[in-house]
Amino acid sequence: MYRSSTWNRGEYDLMKDKEFQDLIDQSLNETISKVDMKALEERMLQDPQARIHYLNSVGLHASLRRRFSSQQEEEGTILFPGQSIFTRKTVWAVAACLVLSFGLLIFQVSNRPFAEVAHVIGAYRADGVTYKTGETVEPGILSLTRGLLRLDFSNGARVTVQGPAELEVFDQDRVLLHKGLVTATIPESAVGFVVDTVAAHVVDLGTSFGVSVSENGQTEVCVFDGEVEVSLPREAGVDEVSHLVREGESISARVNSSVIDSVSYETSQFENALPVNYGVLQTTGSMRFVSPGPDFHPGNYKDNEHIVVFPEKRGFLSSESMRVDMIDPGEYEKSHYEEKPTLVPHRAMTSYLLQLDAYPEGENPNRRRSVIGQITFAKPIVGVITEDRLLNESEVVFGIPGADYPSARTIEPRPEGDERKGFDKLILTADRHSLILELRENPGHLDQVRVLVEAQ
Amino acid sequence: MATPSSKSNRHEDFVALYVRHEPAMFSFVLGMVGRSADAEDVVQRASMTMWRCFDRFKPGTNFRNWAFQVAKNEALNHLTRARRDRHVFSEKMIELLASDNSEEADKLEARRRALDSCVEKLPQDDHEIVSGCYAEGATVQSYAKQKGGTANKFYKKLNRIRGKLHQCIEAQLGIEGSMI
Repeated sequence: MYRSSTWNRGEYDLMKDKEFQDLIDQSLNETISKVDMKALEERMLQDPQARIHYLNSVGLHASLRRRFSSQQEEEGTILFPGQSIFTRKTVWAVAACLVLSFGLLIFQVSNRPFAEVAHVIGAYRADGVTYKTGETVEPGILSLTRGLLRLDFSNGARVTVQGPAELEVFDQDRVLLHKGLVTATIPESAVGFVVDTVAAHVVDLGTSFGVSVSENGQTEVCVFDGEVEVSLPREAGVDEVSHLVREGESISARVNSSVIDSVSYETSQFENALPVNYGVLQTTGSMRFVSPGPDFHPGNYKDNEHIVVFPEKRGFLSSESMRVDMIDPGEYEKSHYEEKPTLVPHRAMTSYLLQLDAYPEGENPNRRRSVIGQITFAKPIVGVITEDRLLNESEVVFGIPGADYPSARTIEPRPEGDERKGFDKLILTADRHSLILELRENPGHLDQVRVLVEAQ
Repeated sequence: MATPSSKSNRHEDFVALYVRHEPAMFSFVLGMVGRSADAEDVVQRASMTMWRCFDRFKPGTNFRNWAFQVAKNEALNHLTRARRDRHVFSEKMIELLASDNSEEADKLEARRRALDSCVEKLPQDDHEIVSGCYAEGATVQSYAKQKGGTANKFYKKLNRIRGKLHQCIEAQLGIEGSMI
């Protein structure tokens, strides 16, 4: 069969042009870097055929998106008399039109607040008025004399601000930290989120990180998980210099400096704000929150001074009922497996692992101290798991399956009537938001508690 | 003053035209702004502007061209804002894409139709991957996590599947072209 069409031949050639095709694919996958984006544009400015190929590729991509994002919603498909089938997206647009046609000019999507105050921990404005949970955030400067405040953006980004701080919020994709400290947890839906400071331009690449700005503008960026791209502010005129900062790395940038310095990884200044991103409002006593990286394994985490808290799975929806050791407020007591309370299925939960690893060390390796701490969550605790068997069962769902622990991890509460020293104590407070732990060190042993909290 | 019935007819006219041309508009906007979520927003805004200004649209003139014009303006507004944070296409690039897109509009339409039968011909595995990755609310990363594999692996698979579909479309259009 004879093919005459020249534009078809051009398409075949361009598909074989690997370099150009790579740029297009990265652009469609939304993984393209700044440099490659420029290269893509450069090529298309010069080559009309390349532009057509790009439009064709985007067309294909867009059609797939339209085709498959509406397909699962058979029930949502509406047939208007004499019209073609409407997908949910078009119904949205039509709904918008209906709203307008009835003379209502309020349109929820475009006027929807892009961020709101999700948690407040003693956070005050400059005029002494406290912030309130649920307040919507307008574009402008948010100032905090003290305390902590978590902002949840509509794209899923969570930013905790620690006072004293001044944070200018532009929209759901960008904030400018004038001074103070923020920690940000950015899900995939908000990748590209920007934190600017007077000394640096920080672009998130899907991660959890902290930024602090001192009085003289010096900026420090610390990446807990994933990676971010840091460059000098645009005004510096050298926006080509960008650094990829990976998990476990920190950088520092001074005002008007033309360099970004790599500095030692130091998370301590962020340790109050970061847990708030993960739904942990406060830890007191010997309790420490730890942000896990991708290769993280609780058994390898070395700290025998604190009860360390690791966030595990977020927003997990169980499909079956699940046994736990404790659901009601009060002090934990041992019970038989058959008597354990069960959690009903289809409930979204977030899990955290609390751990005290009493490995022997130092001059007195067999010391047996009591380690006491309290943790407060933003949402109510729905269940606590303390015994080895249930820890193992729940590991599959919430933890790292197959994680190998040297010994049983059971918490030993004081049996009724036993007056001896040296048992563990665990109390769930009446409001269900806090857990108080008093763990007796047992050298060479690992104490673990898995806490299931209502998902946010 | 418009009577209620004429207003509702007008509304039906708009909906019919809008629904017909929305896929083309979405594709055009996606080409300009690059990110799906942004493209959805821009199209949404454009649809509102179009409905507000629909009184000024003369029946019989080209709705698609008008839609492209409105969409281009909304995209430029969006890009002006986005430009502060990342590299986006320049205005010159947008103008070139807009003029190419208008010229190619009919061919792009034909490609959209051809794609349907090409998707049907995909092997089961490939079909599962595209439908999973392009599903409402899904991302390649979430799909990879669900299937157990790296996002990178699935990006590569998707690139390959899109390549196949592209070739299939070329072949279809080649056949159609030679038959005309």
